[in-house]
Amino acid sequence: MDNNKSNQTIDRRDFFRKTAALSVTAIAGTSLISSNAKADDPAIMHHPSWGQKWGDPVTKNRYGMPSKYEHNVLRRNTKLLASGNYRASIAVTPIQESMGIITPNGLFFSRSHGGVAHVDPNEYRLMIHGLVEKPIVLTLEQLKKYPSVTRTHFIECPANGGQEWRGPQFNSIQFAKGFMSCAEWTGVYVKTILEDLGLDKEKAKWMLTEGSDNSEMGRTVPIDKVLDDAMIVWGQNGEALRPEQGYPVRLLLPGWEGNLCVKWLKRLEFSSEPWYCKEETSKYTALKPSGKAIQHFYANEVNSTVTSPSPEIDWTHLEDGDIIEIEGLAWSGMGTITRVDLSFDGGKTYTNAKLKGLVLPKAWTRWSFMHTYKKGEQLLLTSRAMDDAGYIQPTIDQEVSVMGVESVYHRNAVETWEVTATGEVNHVQMRTPGGVKNA
Amino acid sequence: MLNLNRKFLVTASTAAAVALLTTGCFGETDTAKQSTITKASIDGGISYPVVNNKTSAYYVNPQVAAMAPKIYHGRVPTANELKAWDKDVMPDGTGLPEGSGSVEDGEELYEAKCVMCHGDFGSGGGGYPSLSKGNAYELQETLTNNRWHDPEADGPVRVFGSYWPKVSTLWWYIKDGMPHPASKTLNDDEVYALTAYILNINEFEIDGEEVDDEYVLDREKMLKVVMPNVDGFEPSIDGPNGLENVRTYYANPKNFGAIKLAPGTTPCMENCQEDSVVITRIQNGGIKDFLPPMSDERDLPQEKEVAVDPVKVYDETCAMCHSSYLSPGSAEWSGYLSRGMDQVYANAIHGTDGGMPAKGGTSLSDKNFKTVVDYITTGKTK
Repeated sequence: MDNNKSNQTIDRRDFFRKTAALSVTAIAGTSLISSNAKADDPAIMHHPSWGQKWGDPVTKNRYGMPSKYEHNVLRRNTKLLASGNYRASIAVTPIQESMGIITPNGLFFSRSHGGVAHVDPNEYRLMIHGLVEKPIVLTLEQLKKYPSVTRTHFIECPANGGQEWRGPQFNSIQFAKGFMSCAEWTGVYVKTILEDLGLDKEKAKWMLTEGSDNSEMGRTVPIDKVLDDAMIVWGQNGEALRPEQGYPVRLLLPGWEGNLCVKWLKRLEFSSEPWYCKEETSKYTALKPSGKAIQHFYANEVNSTVTSPSPEIDWTHLEDGDIIEIEGLAWSGMGTITRVDLSFDGGKTYTNAKLKGLVLPKAWTRWSFMHTYKKGEQLLLTSRAMDDAGYIQPTIDQEVSVMGVESVYHRNAVETWEVTATGEVNHVQMRTPGGVKNA
Repeated sequence: MLNLNRKFLVTASTAAAVALLTTGCFGETDTAKQSTITKASIDGGISYPVVNNKTSAYYVNPQVAAMAPKIYHGRVPTANELKAWDKDVMPDGTGLPEGSGSVEDGEELYEAKCVMCHGDFGSGGGGYPSLSKGNAYELQETLTNNRWHDPEADGPVRVFGSYWPKVSTLWWYIKDGMPHPASKTLNDDEVYALTAYILNINEFEIDGEEVDDEYVLDREKMLKVVMPNVDGFEPSIDGPNGLENVRTYYANPKNFGAIKLAPGTTPCMENCQEDSVVITRIQNGGIKDFLPPMSDERDLPQEKEVAVDPVKVYDETCAMCHSSYLSPGSAEWSGYLSRGMDQVYANAIHGTDGGMPAKGGTSLSDKNFKTVVDYITTGKTK
């Protein structure tokens, strides 16, 4: 064994460049399997440094961290969304690096209206009152004594894609579509606790949900959702909620706007009239061309995007004839994904893509399409999802013809990613300049 | 509960479920083994009631529903506790305390506590929202501006005066959330004063009276404020029909720009786009001030070298072997040291056949590990 060479610097880029050049020679020349034509991979020919010395003791990381090589897989932010010195702001999920349908807790998108609060669980209290016979105040310990349910749901900011009503602005999948994440949540159904409290079902129509953070974040929730699948959650992917997701307790309204899923949850009150909180009037309302704005716009509608390739991780390394998976996400806050179609020409013609993995209501759903890459081809990859309520993603023209371009929120038209002749990927939109009436 | 909840839809296929839902037909059909059970929900979508101890793919424990009314793990809050936390303010004045404040006091407070973020006269800046752009009644008319047909046109002005439907929201949010870096520090009169000032800079009238520089706002007057855009929102959520209005609104996809396919329809697979469609590209480079900069490199991050505590490293890593023999400052070191420090460092860093692991099994830099060697050979720290 030539152990001494293990300390050599291995330049993988050089190696791959050399191998690629030789492969081309091989194809043009004689035999594809001629081993003489290829350089030996130093990563194989030498002992790597990690294989010849002790690794870390098991005592090192009491809470495990990602490999230090993964240091670029991060939530990111932009100054466009920097309100309040990044306290009334958002950091978004690198969905170009996401795998499966679960977002790791450290990468779950982070949005707050007064900064991330750090709540002392010993002083945590949840009060539920208003139109109930017997109000209640709970400690965290008492809350967790209720029977728990665990469910996988995405949470999406309704401004996901909201910067691009008038045209594409982000040449990035992380920023164009990363205002969302998906996790497995553990908590108790609100309706289970309400059984104890004697809700006045005649009069109680609305629930105020309020956080204990600096902004005292508030929203009004209709009783329909409270009695359906609304949850009070304390678990996220098998551990306590992260502070960014409202530790120790948040509300979860599956499929509905992220801001409705109030974090650092403090109080629920039932009333016969709605409240008109700041974040359901000044913001999170969608202005239409009529001058009227949609308020209480709850569900994130059916949506999808290609996630691979992306501007971040493109196809410039592909060779002619390579068989490659086109992958993406589909999701609907109004039901379960039933199909995804994929277009290579920006939405003129579609072909059926395949769903894969678990397909759950109001959860990220993975889809896939196997593609044989032709060097120099130009593609306009557009995905289009449908859910079991019957909703299908509109074209940009169709959505704009109803909503105009000033809505900010709830943009779910199909998204297009251009693959250039060199394999670079650009975010583009397929739309009629000036819009189409009654598209 | 709602009428819809009483009747579940049980069908053999999702497509059939959609078929019935979209035609507004609710009722039971034949139950198949692989059934999909859904009901219409208020948001225009569907939800999955618990049937046969399952909701969609999830099993539920039926004992919970049976025992739920008896669980009650908390306690009833005291009257004072309820009062301490029940501080919300509703449009009809529920929760709005008595008090008063003048435009003059409000301006002074604003200059002291708000102007650094919200700008002169509420003009905004630094990423914080504007509180006024001028006369609220005139600016309300800009809400029909839409840059759909003409990207260069003026957009709608959505500030407190021109856009918000209720004044109670302003009072409540100032009380709970402002000033942003030190919320919940203003007393009720101060909140009235700031509300008065913001009404003033938006050129409001209350009950026919101009909110001028001399105006003093109190609870009674605030309840008479009519926001210019009070009717600017849909669906109407107020009153006994509020919930039903919401349900009706979202039952019609056209209201919110959605497309819902008729039963059994295959979606468009060819000629799905207008001929007028063109590729629209990012203008002027777009937004790319991403922090941290975008990268998918799997290289090693540049680590700043931080000095280590050699005694701590010794205790945690070296003491296991180096406590009885070659311990810190031991005379046994003299033989090794006589061969020169360079040799001692080299042995320590690369390890020896005698059982010394490279760097003692740590991942410290050479420089840092040498400080540990210095300590263990001398018993002293520098």
